[in-house]
Amino acid sequence: MTRHPSDSHTLERYLETGGYQALAKALEMPPEEVTGEVKAANLRGRGGAGFPCGVKWSFLAPAKPAYVVVNGDESEPGTFKDRQLMERDPHQMLEGTIITSYANGANHAFIYIRGEYPRSARRVQQAVEDAYAAGYLGSDILGSGFDLEVTVHLGAGAYICGEETGLLNSLEGRRGEPRLKPPYYPAAKGLYMKPTIVNNVETLANVPWIIHNGGEAFAAIGPDGSQGTRLFSISGHVRRPGNYELVMGLTWRELIYDVAGGIPGDRALKCWIPGGASAPWFVPDDHLDLPVTLDDTAKAGSMLGSGAVVIMDETTCTVRATERLVRFFAHESCGQCTPCREGCSWLERILRRIEEGAGREVDVDMLLDISDNISPGLAWPPRMTTICPLGPSAVSPILAITSYFKDELMAHIHQGGCPLD
Amino acid sequence: MTKPVTVTINRRLVNAPAGELLIKTAQDNGVYIPRFCWHPRMNPVGMCRMCLVEIQTPRGPLMVTSCTTPVSDGMTVDTTNPTVKKAQEGVLEFLLINHPLDCPVCDRAGECPLQDQTMAYGPGESRFVEEKRHFEKPIPISELVMLDRERCILCARCTRFSEEISGDPLIEFQERGNYTEVNTFPDEPFRSYFSGNTVQICPVGALTATPYRFRARPWDLTFVESTCQHCSSGDRINLQSSQNRLLRILGVDSEPTNQGWLSDKCRFGFEYVASPARLTSPLVRDKAGELQEVSWGEALDYSGKALGEVISRSGGRAVAGLGGARGTNEDAYAFSKFLRSAVGTNSVDCQMDDGLDPRLLSAIVDRARIADLESAGSILVWGPDLKEEHPTLYLRVRRAAQELGAGLVVVHPRGTGLDDRASVKVTYQPGRGGEVLTELMDGNGRMAEAREVLSNGPVVALLGRPGYGESPDLAEATAAFVRSLPDATILPLARRGNVFGALDMGLSPALLPGRVQRGTLAAQMLADRWGELPAASGRDCRGILEGLESGDIEAVVLVGADPVRDVPDGELARRALEKAGLVVAIDQFLTDSSRMADVVFPAMGFSEVEGTVTNIEGRVLKVNRLTPGPGQSRPDWAILSDLAARLGVDLGLVSAQQISQEVEELADIYRGVNWERLDWEDRDGIVVSGDLGYVPVFSHVASVSPRPGEMALHYARTMYDDGVMTRESPSLRPLAPGSGAHLHPADAARLGVGEGDSVDVTSVSGSLRAGVVIDPTVEPGVVYVPFNQPDTPSLGTVLGVKVSG
Amino acid sequence: MVEIRSPSVRRGWSESTRARASEIVKQYPDPRSAVMPLLYLAMAEDGYLTDNGMREVAGAVGLTPAQVRAVASFYTMYKRDDPGRYLISCCTSISCMLLGSDEVLRAIEEESDVTAGETDPEELISVEHVECIGACGGAPAVTVNYELIEGVTAEKARELVRWLRTARPDAIVGAECQELFGGRRSFDWGPFDRDSALGPYPAFGPLGTVSGPSEDQDG
Ligand SMILES: Cc1cc2nc3c(=O)[nH]c(=O)nc-3n(C[C@H](O)[C@H](O)[C@H](O)COP(=O)(O)O)c2cc1C
Ligand code: SF4
Ligand code: FES
Repeated sequence: MTRHPSDSHTLERYLETGGYQALAKALEMPPEEVTGEVKAANLRGRGGAGFPCGVKWSFLAPAKPAYVVVNGDESEPGTFKDRQLMERDPHQMLEGTIITSYANGANHAFIYIRGEYPRSARRVQQAVEDAYAAGYLGSDILGSGFDLEVTVHLGAGAYICGEETGLLNSLEGRRGEPRLKPPYYPAAKGLYMKPTIVNNVETLANVPWIIHNGGEAFAAIGPDGSQGTRLFSISGHVRRPGNYELVMGLTWRELIYDVAGGIPGDRALKCWIPGGASAPWFVPDDHLDLPVTLDDTAKAGSMLGSGAVVIMDETTCTVRATERLVRFFAHESCGQCTPCREGCSWLERILRRIEEGAGREVDVDMLLDISDNISPGLAWPPRMTTICPLGPSAVSPILAITSYFKDELMAHIHQGGCPLD
Repeated sequence: MTKPVTVTINRRLVNAPAGELLIKTAQDNGVYIPRFCWHPRMNPVGMCRMCLVEIQTPRGPLMVTSCTTPVSDGMTVDTTNPTVKKAQEGVLEFLLINHPLDCPVCDRAGECPLQDQTMAYGPGESRFVEEKRHFEKPIPISELVMLDRERCILCARCTRFSEEISGDPLIEFQERGNYTEVNTFPDEPFRSYFSGNTVQICPVGALTATPYRFRARPWDLTFVESTCQHCSSGDRINLQSSQNRLLRILGVDSEPTNQGWLSDKCRFGFEYVASPARLTSPLVRDKAGELQEVSWGEALDYSGKALGEVISRSGGRAVAGLGGARGTNEDAYAFSKFLRSAVGTNSVDCQMDDGLDPRLLSAIVDRARIADLESAGSILVWGPDLKEEHPTLYLRVRRAAQELGAGLVVVHPRGTGLDDRASVKVTYQPGRGGEVLTELMDGNGRMAEAREVLSNGPVVALLGRPGYGESPDLAEATAAFVRSLPDATILPLARRGNVFGALDMGLSPALLPGRVQRGTLAAQMLADRWGELPAASGRDCRGILEGLESGDIEAVVLVGADPVRDVPDGELARRALEKAGLVVAIDQFLTDSSRMADVVFPAMGFSEVEGTVTNIEGRVLKVNRLTPGPGQSRPDWAILSDLAARLGVDLGLVSAQQISQEVEELADIYRGVNWERLDWEDRDGIVVSGDLGYVPVFSHVASVSPRPGEMALHYARTMYDDGVMTRESPSLRPLAPGSGAHLHPADAARLGVGEGDSVDVTSVSGSLRAGVVIDPTVEPGVVYVPFNQPDTPSLGTVLGVKVSG
Repeated sequence: MVEIRSPSVRRGWSESTRARASEIVKQYPDPRSAVMPLLYLAMAEDGYLTDNGMREVAGAVGLTPAQVRAVASFYTMYKRDDPGRYLISCCTSISCMLLGSDEVLRAIEEESDVTAGETDPEELISVEHVECIGACGGAPAVTVNYELIEGVTAEKARELVRWLRTARPDAIVGAECQELFGGRRSFDWGPFDRDSALGPYPAFGPLGTVSGPSEDQDG
C-alpha cells in the first residue's frame, strides 16, 4: 500500500505503477464475485472496529439507490495513516472506492475528509477530477455501462463525524450526531435512509490489490484473522515515529523496539496505547511479547482500533496523559446523550483538579463510579449506557491509570500535584 | 393489525402488539419506566438514557433504551435489577450535576418530571463539587416563551416538536458536547403559532410561558377538562384555575382531535375571560342615546316590550337572529327555539357571510373524520390556510404528509404553512378558482402530477373558502369533483368555534335542530314539540343585513355576534345596525356591534358555562365550567328563555343539561349523546352522523377577473386578528400582524413601492392604507390583505381593488 | 414539491456567489447536504461566519437560520467570531503533549501575546489549541490557517510567529512553512507543492468550485 514513488498522487504515476488495472478487471466480473474476493481476503475494516469488509458488503439491503461513503475523517488521536494514503496515493483509495461502488451497485459515492486535512482534500479532489477526465468516473466507466459520481465532502472539525452514522448525518447537512443502532444501521438505513456502505480509507485502499491478486493471495499474508498488511501510526516516545505498513503477527516488543527504533535515550517503556486513544493501554510486564493481531489484542482487553500506537516512556506523567485523553473525548462528545455529555466533562474536570493538586482520595472511587455509569461493569469490550462508543472510550484511560498507575494517581493527590514535575 | 407478541417484563408475561415500543408496553402493563426525552407523539431519539432497561440476548444481558426498542416475541426484560437501578441513578446524577437548584422559584416545581424522577429513582446526594455550567438566566425567545438554559436537560423535545410536528424549526440545539444548548437564531425569535406546546412538554422549567410565569404553584390549581372553542376542531384541553381565575390551559392528548397539541391561540387566548372589559350587568340605551346599566328586570322588560311591538306590528319575520356559533349547543338550541317558536322567524344565521352552504358544512354525505388523515393515501387542501385558521388540523395534515407518507395537494392563492410538505402546490389568482378546478378535473398538463397524487386513495379533501373574494360555490363544485376520486371523504371547513353545533341546532334559515330541513316530515315532528313553525322562509346573514338596511327587517337579536368585525363587508353590517329599529345583543363585551345595540345582556362564556359543542367532523364534546362569570352575567339560554317569557312564551328550558336532554329526545342524530357519557367514558366525544342526503353537485364556477386597473384581492384571516377574544387577551393582542398589502415583487416594482412603503387599497365597500409587504408567494396581479386587523376598516367580499402608492 | 405558479424572484447572495452555491447544491442528492460546503463559502465571502452568511445558507438550502446555526456551531472550524489573518492552531492532544506541545503553545502565546482562544488587537494573529490534527508522527504540530507544520519546537514556534508578524504572507503555503519552521514529519510529504490555504481568512474554497489558488500564486 505504501510503496509509492514520490509523486504518486498524480494520475500519470499511478498508472505507471499499475493503477486502475484492478478496476478494469473488476468491471469484467459480476459484482457478487468482486464481493466474493473481498470476503475471501478476509479484509477486516481498518477504521477501528475491524469488521470483515466483504461480510459488511453482503449485508447491504437491496433497496435503491445505494451509496458508498469513504470514511476519511481520521481523527482518533495518534492516527495519521489515512492522511498519508489520501495525500500520497489518492488514486489507490479512489480505485478501491470505484470497485466498491461497483460491487455494491452504488452510483454515487462520497468521500468524507476531515476539515483539518486541506492537503488531503486538494489531492483527493484533484484525483477525482483527473479520474473523471480519464473516464474512471462518470457514466459508462471503461465501457462497462457502470456509472459513478463521486463527491468529495469536507468535515469541519468534529471527531464524532468519524463514527459512521455521525458521518452520515454530517453528510446530510446535520449536526454530526451518531444515530441509534438499531434501527439506523447504514447497510439498511444509511445516507438519506438508503442502504449505504461506509468504509475506512485504508480498508478501501486494500481493495485494488485484492482484486488484482485475488482474495486468497491477500488472505495468505499474515496470521488468520489479521490478514493483509496494515498501516500502524506510531508516535510518542520512540526514535522513529511514523507510519509503518506491517504484516501483523509480530510482537509489540518488535514493533516498538525494532520497527520504531525503541525509546530515545534508552529510557524505560512505561506503557503504550495499542490502537488509538479509545483503546485501553498496555504495559510492558503484561503485554510486550503479545503478538500484534486483532484477536490477541482483543483477548488481552484492548484493540488495534485505528492502528495508532502511542508510546509513553518512564518520564510520562500518566495522570496528565489520562487527563489529555479524557479531555479529548469530552471536547469531542456530540452532546446528545446524557452520560457522555455530562460524564466525560465531569471526569475531565476531576482529573484536571487532581493534576493541579486539588485531588481528594474519594476522587479515585468517584472516577471509577462515574466511569461505571458510562460503561457499566467497566468491561471490555465496553458495555454502554450511551448511544455510541465515544463516551465509553473516555473510560479506557481511566481504567488504565487506576489499574496500572494507581500509586501515581495517589501521589498526585497526596503531594498536591505532579511528583514528576 | 400486527400479531401480538408475548414479552416477559420483570418476570411477568404480558402481551403487546409487535413492534410497539417497550416503554409503552411496560407502561400499559403497569410498569413505569422513567423517561425524559421520549414523548408518545414524537419519534424516539433515545438521548436522555433515563429509560435504560436490561434485555436478555443470546450473547448475555444487554442494556437498551426502552423508548427505542420495539418489543419482539419472547423478549425478556428487567426494568428494576441492580444494573438498571445503577444506570438510572447514574443518568439522574449526570442530569443534575449541571442543573441549578432553583426549584423554589421555578414554575415547574411540583409538576416537574426531573424533580419527581429524582425522588423516585435518583441518588440521595450529589457528589459534584465542580462549578456548574452557567448561562444567562431566562432569556425571552419570543413574546410568549422564556428560556432558561441552565435548567435544560437537552431532551430535544422542543426541537423535535418544532421540526417534526409544527414544521417551524426556529429552536435548535446549538454548540456541541458539554456546551450544547437549545436556542434560537440570534435575531429570529421562536415566533411559532405552536410555541406553547414546547412549554407543556418540556420536562423541566427550561421553557416557561410568559403569560403563566410565577402566577401559580401547581398544587394550588383546580382542573377540569373541556373543549377549546377558538376553532372548530374540538381540541381537548385542561382548564386550570386558582382562586376562581383561569390561569392556564394545557392540551389533552385526544386521539381523534388534537393529539395533545394546541395552537398558542387556544393556549393563551383565554385571558379575555378575565378582562376588566367584560360586561357585568345589562345595559339599555337611555334617552340621551347612552348605554346605561340597569337591572335584569328592566332590561328584559324593555326588550320584551320592544320585540313584542315589532312582532305585533310586522310579524315575526321582521325579526332576525345572528350568531350562536360561539356558544354551546345548548345555547344554540335555545336561540333556535326562541326565534322559531317565540318570535316566529326563520331568519337566522350563525355564519357571518364568510362560510359555505350550510348543507355542505353540516350534512354532506362522505364526510371525513379528522383521524382519516392518518390513513389517507392523499390529501387535498383547498380552503383557508389551515395554519392560520385550523391550527391543529394543520398539524394533523402536516403529520400525515411528513411522517405517514400521504401525498398532499395544496391549492391556495398564496403560500401556506403546508407548502413545504406539499407534493404539489397550486397558487392562483382569487376569482379564477373555477378555471383551476376545471384544469384539475381534466388532469392534463400542469395538473397531471396533482391528479397522479390524488389517484392514491383513500383521499381526504379539506374544503373551504380560501378567501372572502372567492365564491362559496367553488368549495361546493370541488366537493362534487372530489367525490369522483378513490375512496374520497370530505372535511368541510368552517372556522368559528361551534359553527357545526350551531348548524346542527338549526341556526340557519333552512335548517332545524338535528340536521333537519324545513318542510320535511322530520320538521313536522319537530312542530309537534315546538308548536307551529314559522312558514315564511328566512334569510341568511347577508340577507338579514340587507333586510335591516332596507327596513324589511326591523329587529335583530345578536348572540355572541359582532357582524361589524366578523362580516367581510363590515360596512354593510354597520349600516344595517344603524338602520335597525331594535338591536338586542347578548354578549360578553361591548363590541363594535353590541355598542350599537339598544339592549345588551351580559353573557357568560367559555369556562363559565357547561354544555356541549360539535366539531368539524360532527363529534360532540363536552365543555365544562371552572370559573364563575363576571358580575351578573348569565348563560345565553337563560337570557333567551327569560326573553321568551316576556313575549309570553314558555320555552320550557330549565338548565343546560335539561336542554341537552331535550336535544337528545328531539334530534334523531343526537340520540345517545348525553352528558354522563361525555363526562366519563366518551370524553373524546361521540360522533353524530346523519346527512340530509345532500350531494354536492358540480356547479360551473365562472372565473372572474378584476376590472382593468384593479388588482385581485385575496382577503383572508390570520391566526391573530382584531377579534374580541384576541383583542382582550393581552398576551396575544400584540401578535396580530396588523394590516398589510402583500404584493408580488413585480407589482411592487410596477407601483414603484418597496417593503414598508404605504399604499391605499380601495374597494367598493371600503378603503384602507397599509404597509407594503413584498410577498413572492402571491401571484402577480394579486394583493393579499389580512382580514380584520386592528384599526382597519373592512374591504368587503369583493374581488377587485384599486391599489395606489 | 411541484410548484405550479408563475416564476418569482429570490433574494440571495450576489449572482456569482449564488451560482457557486447552486453548483455545490447540485453535487448532492439532497440540497441540505450542501450546508457544510456552503458554510465554507459563507466564510470565504465574509472572512468568517457571520449571521448574515448563515441566513444566506439557510435560504440556499431551504432551512431556517436556526437550523443552519445548529449545524455550524457543532463544528469547530466554522468561526463565528472574526479571527485574525493568521489562525495558529496548536495541537495539544496526547502524542503532541508527550513531545512538548504545551511548551510550544506557551511559546506561541508569549511571542504573539495572544492567549489561546483569542485574537490580537491588530486582528493579525489568533491562537487556539486544538485536539489531534493527525500529525502525531511529527509531533508537536501546529497549523497556520490549517496548513500543517510538523516537528515544531518552542524556538521554531517563536520564529514562526515573528515571521507571520513581519513577512505577512498573502497565503500560507504549508510546504514552505514546513521547510522554514518544521522538523520531523509524520511521513514523506512528496514533492514540494505550492498549494496553500486560501488566506487571509482561515477557510478554503468549497471543493468542486475552487481548487486552490492558481499555480503561479506567490512564487
Ligand atoms: C467515536 C468513533 C469514532 C470513529 N472515528 C473513525 C474515523 O475517524 N475513521 C474511520 O475510518 N472510522 C472511524 N470510526 C469507525 C466507523 O464508525 C466505522 O466503523 C468505520 O468507518 C467502518 O469502516 P471499516 O469497516 O472500513 O473500518 C469511529 C467510530 C467511533 C465509534
Ligand atoms: S456517546 Fe457521546 S458522542 Fe456518542 S452519541 Fe452519546 S453524546 Fe454523542
Ligand atoms: S426516554 Fe428513552 S432515552 Fe430518553
